[in-house]
Amino acid sequence: MRAYLQKYTSAAPLAIFRAIFGLMLVISTARFLALGWVKELYINPQFFFSFYGFGFVKPLGEWTYLLFAACGISALLVAIGWYYRQASIVLFLSFTYIELMDKSTYLNHYYFVSLLCFLLIFLPANTMFSVDARRNEAMRAGEIPAWCIDCVRVLVCMLYFYAGIAKLNSDWFVEALPLKIWLPAKNDTPLIGGLFNQLETAYVFSWIGCIYDLSVGFMLWNRPTRPFAYASVVVFHLLTSLLFPIGMFPYIMIVTALIFFPAGFHQKLISYIGRLFRLPTAVAKPAGRYQFPAMVRPVVYAVLAVFFVFQILFPFRYLLYPGELFWTEEGYRFSWRVMLMEKAGYTQFTVTDANGKRQTINNNDFLTRLQEKMMSTQPDMILQYAHMLRDYYASRGFVQPHVYVDSYVALNGRTGKPLIAPDVDLAQQCDSFRHKSWITPFNNEIKGL
Amino acid sequence: MKKYFALLLTMLFLGCSGGSDKPDPQPTDEGKDRSVMLKALAENMIIPSYDQFKTKFDLMSEKSKAFAAKPDAQTLGAFRSAWADAYVAWERVELFDFGPAEKQTIRNFFNIYPASEAGIAANIADPTSSLEVPASYATQGFPALDYLINGLGANDTAVLAQYTTDKDAAKKLAYITRVVTRMESLLGKVMGEWKGEYLNTFISKTGLDIGSSTSLMVNGTVLHYERYIRSGKFGIPSGAMANGIAAPEKVEAFYKKDISKTLAQTAHKAYVDFFNGRHAVTGEAGPGLKTYLDALGAKDSSTGKLLSESINTQFQAAAAKLDALKPSLYEEVKTNNQVMKDTYNEMQKAVRMLKVDMTSAMSITITYTDNDGD
Repeated sequence: MRAYLQKYTSAAPLAIFRAIFGLMLVISTARFLALGWVKELYINPQFFFSFYGFGFVKPLGEWTYLLFAACGISALLVAIGWYYRQASIVLFLSFTYIELMDKSTYLNHYYFVSLLCFLLIFLPANTMFSVDARRNEAMRAGEIPAWCIDCVRVLVCMLYFYAGIAKLNSDWFVEALPLKIWLPAKNDTPLIGGLFNQLETAYVFSWIGCIYDLSVGFMLWNRPTRPFAYASVVVFHLLTSLLFPIGMFPYIMIVTALIFFPAGFHQKLISYIGRLFRLPTAVAKPAGRYQFPAMVRPVVYAVLAVFFVFQILFPFRYLLYPGELFWTEEGYRFSWRVMLMEKAGYTQFTVTDANGKRQTINNNDFLTRLQEKMMSTQPDMILQYAHMLRDYYASRGFVQPHVYVDSYVALNGRTGKPLIAPDVDLAQQCDSFRHKSWITPFNNEIKGL
Repeated sequence: MKKYFALLLTMLFLGCSGGSDKPDPQPTDEGKDRSVMLKALAENMIIPSYDQFKTKFDLMSEKSKAFAAKPDAQTLGAFRSAWADAYVAWERVELFDFGPAEKQTIRNFFNIYPASEAGIAANIADPTSSLEVPASYATQGFPALDYLINGLGANDTAVLAQYTTDKDAAKKLAYITRVVTRMESLLGKVMGEWKGEYLNTFISKTGLDIGSSTSLMVNGTVLHYERYIRSGKFGIPSGAMANGIAAPEKVEAFYKKDISKTLAQTAHKAYVDFFNGRHAVTGEAGPGLKTYLDALGAKDSSTGKLLSESINTQFQAAAAKLDALKPSLYEEVKTNNQVMKDTYNEMQKAVRMLKVDMTSAMSITITYTDNDGD
């Protein structure tokens, strides 16, 4: 371990990663703004689904734009490596704050970006090919500890591997679900559309997708298999971007996987771009080794050790809950479970009170369509919404309101059935990390992990 | 290891090309072709239904002119009967609330009830008042005509007096003409689009993302079943929706009363026919949501029963409740409200199947934003 920690390698791969990753986030932020999503997702709604324990993280009204500006500008600063350390901290905080504002917009790839931003705070990614290195000779270094690059690689491998593990279940493997449902929706794609009508295609995609996820990290790491692995990364992610509305994620993964390429590749890239921008050789290919300050080093080791232990364990927390994970979604998020379910729901809430008042709720009076869609299939969000209704009607003259929900949820092509016990007064249930006993049992089995 | 991976990649590409090498069109593939479904629905159902409605509407328009020219018992009777026929025919097109109809928001101007008596009186007094704003919805369309020809007096003599001896008789006749003319113009716009450029747009936007024809059509028609059949015709008048307080004056065709069941039955049957892709003229089943779901193989995994069959069974259960009602839903709410609530509850079960089981099986998108399919 000691020997490993003292191993040094070229700083070029991390510098390139920093630059490209920063640029991707600049583009992501600009795209988000250009599509009007800040207003649609974070300003227009009346109610936001905060994460348990993060209730204080709320959109800031019109100031939310400032938050996005901070995110975009800090991403740009990270990309060019100017005031890198401060910028990476602002980037991590602003990006994570944005993602915590409303659960209904949760995406695994946003979580992945947050984690990468967190890692970047601790990594010396600005020792070359950066404005910092150009302005300050003392910051320059051509070599950094090898673990600095490896920890980004490990995180990428974990994402794929855990996504692969999550696919080891009977719905995915035996039934080709949900791809069997999703692919025919794309049967009007030019040239290859007809394929998506074939059941075989769903099976082939399911199996290859799973094997791909489980193996691609190792294939990227292993030099002989790397070219094939990278080609498959490109094909796989372009195919998913063609089939599903997953935004920037495929492109972020395609460029992130470059981190597995050897230093020579990155150094060539830097030298080429360096010539375009007339960077001095001392910035494009500096000499010297980066040394973590002695005071800081143990702290960084400790933080990263805790970080990775957490990353390894956290996705398995679902084992602590009874019931089917896909149904209850207790321990579903932050676990690299991507594209695993076709789940749809319908919820009709009724608020009553002691004086016989009774109101059937039109969800669209309170929630956006996206929020309603997400809430209808996720018990913790159903509870949050029920509490919102309780408080709303309490302020409108309902005496100690009761909130009941008539829910109907379909999972991976199974006929819908109630997700929540209809006779439970949700106004009186508390949210916590404990199992929610008022979730109706699934009464069906999805075998596997 | 390398070979193993190369093999996988080869499999992927073989898997990709395997199907296109054998272009033998299987019947299931055709069933999954949304352009076939869209074309059939537009040409066999939507456009002919509008044509049928237009015939009835034109007849009503003609009778309304005859009545305006010479208001007497005979012209009133003819106008009323043509109005009822047109109203029933409207129920067969109201569900197509997507594309042109959605753009013109034709439903808002044709069938928002209960009619606003005060609003209608104000519009009669002021012929320059706007009929375009949301506040005017309840002062026009079939419900307003219902009030004007059936509700202005306690009996036929009293109604006729409003158009003959009343000091504002001319203004009232003019308002009838104004309402009918406005309906005619809106209907012309909607039908013009369906028979023009929109038909091609409709057939060619074959995706399932938001803004595509299938998505617009399914979202629009499911909303129709939920909000305008289940809630509008049953849930709201019976009080099943809010506070449990019955509101019999909120039934459809409140002034005529005895056609409210026929209207509801027609609307429900129109929806079932739409689901089953029945030709508007011949009644023959063709490509539609049912055939599409069947081609997708949508079925309950535990019983193996086709989803389309389950939905049709539920439609039948709702129709059975509806068929057993008295002709006047107003009377039912007043005297036997539980049967109204029962009908609502049966329809509620169908709503869930349409909103959840059907849209999920079809993989229809409802939002623009990124999604990783959690």
